[in-house]
Amino acid sequence: MIQDYLFFTGINVLLAWSVYIILMSGSLSFANGGFMALGAYATGYLTTTYGLDLWLVIPPVALLAALFGALVSLPALRTRGVYLILVTIGISICMGVGIESSEALGGVKGMGGLVGTEPWHVFVLVGVVGLFLLIVSYTPLQRILDAVREDEYVARSLGINTTYVKVVSFGAGAALAATSGALYAHYLIFIRPEHFNVMMSLFMVLYVILGGVNNLWGAALGATIMTLAPEFIRGMAEWRPTVFGLIIILLLLVRPQGLLAFRTRTARAGTRVAKWVQGKLVPGGAAS
Amino acid sequence: MKMALSLTNVCKRFGGVTALDGVSFDVAHGELLGLVGPNGAGKSVLVNVVSGFYPLTTGSILVDGRDVTYAPPHHFGRLGIARTFQNIRLFKRMSVLENVLVAFPRHVRSPFGSILRWNRRAEIDHALALLSQMRLVEKADQSAGSLAYGEARRLEIARALATEPKLLLLDEPAAGMNDRETDELRADISDLRSMLDAIVLIEHNVEFLRGLSDRLVVLDYGRMIADGVPDIVLKIPAVVEAYLGAAEDA
Repeated sequence: MIQDYLFFTGINVLLAWSVYIILMSGSLSFANGGFMALGAYATGYLTTTYGLDLWLVIPPVALLAALFGALVSLPALRTRGVYLILVTIGISICMGVGIESSEALGGVKGMGGLVGTEPWHVFVLVGVVGLFLLIVSYTPLQRILDAVREDEYVARSLGINTTYVKVVSFGAGAALAATSGALYAHYLIFIRPEHFNVMMSLFMVLYVILGGVNNLWGAALGATIMTLAPEFIRGMAEWRPTVFGLIIILLLLVRPQGLLAFRTRTARAGTRVAKWVQGKLVPGGAAS
Repeated sequence: MKMALSLTNVCKRFGGVTALDGVSFDVAHGELLGLVGPNGAGKSVLVNVVSGFYPLTTGSILVDGRDVTYAPPHHFGRLGIARTFQNIRLFKRMSVLENVLVAFPRHVRSPFGSILRWNRRAEIDHALALLSQMRLVEKADQSAGSLAYGEARRLEIARALATEPKLLLLDEPAAGMNDRETDELRADISDLRSMLDAIVLIEHNVEFLRGLSDRLVVLDYGRMIADGVPDIVLKIPAVVEAYLGAAEDA
């Protein structure tokens, strides 16, 4: 059904952004499948066992995920590069194993009876998060994040508390992944731990890398293409993973920097340079 | 009297290597101190210690009378210490203008609050003022990665000034520059003195410092071997042997 494709595209765009938000401060997270599972199962448990309203439980669960994300990022951020990646993969695996061994969450049998998400809920969230990221990309925050991502040590020497910046961005990414997980679960009706395994985390990262890591559009485009492209060969179900793999290889060969590699300037001097040179501007903030 | 910077018995060891061995000196308000020494003398290690990059092994650092010895690294910048790097470290993906804007204390201190609290025009004009001081205003919208070597060095100084520092540490700012660029840079640094409380200038080339610095501190193998007025310090036999002799041979 076309509605399903649009829904899954929207969810994957949100998940790609959850990875992108963490990547903005320089960390590559393979833990977002775990954060997604946390959101899905925590809200699922509360809505099915206690009959609570989905919209009532999403905010506290998202907050919980943010705290959890921030907490696990603290030791994780002490490690760098490939080690950080391994730590985040470990978080994803632990989350899966934890759910599988939990009776209350249905274990390997899964959890059912989850309803309440309409596709438009996801589209609204895509709009809200996209608008927020778009606004951020023109603010001083974007520059500070770019600085932390490009050279953490120099950023620190300028007075930026890089640990704080990274922990908050980890928490924000975790909250978004958990919210997406909650919406996803309550659309699927029935969820099992393998819906949120390490492959899920890997796909989210791939959407961002294939689409481009420097702007919010890349992540969205990557998620959209990688969700919809395999559907074109729906008739040959057994070939879908192969086609998916071929697309990844092809894109990385042709455009290793991602489909949309540009970075948005947070500020431009433009015509003010000429005015400055002609001596027409003498700001009160001048340093001399 | 409170000193702009005060080092007491600063030691820095990396494993078994002693990079700084009991270095003590003060930088007075208004002073331009030259820090010289041959390669491997520990000049850059000293800058890294004073700017919070490396925690020191023993000793203490006071900035304007405040003990920063155990302050977290990002506090050094907030307390008014700014630095440049021997191997230029600009944010290459950003524009020249953005490299200056990113360092403004208002946003640096509360990065997430900066979403709501910014003033584009006034900030851009302030950044242009700093860029114009370092003769880069016309390049404002260029990518920082596209700058020539000397320009990149000047942009690092402009970025450091944007943090509104009291103390500026310049780590071999003239390295790799030709004679004309070096002379211009010397004039630029001279002009900066009125904006700053104190400057520490690390330099390999003594001629660059002669006439520019008020005082010289000479390091050799991590130890301080002289501290005084340039003309006198450069005549001390130990300095001539350790530093000038080596430099002339090279």
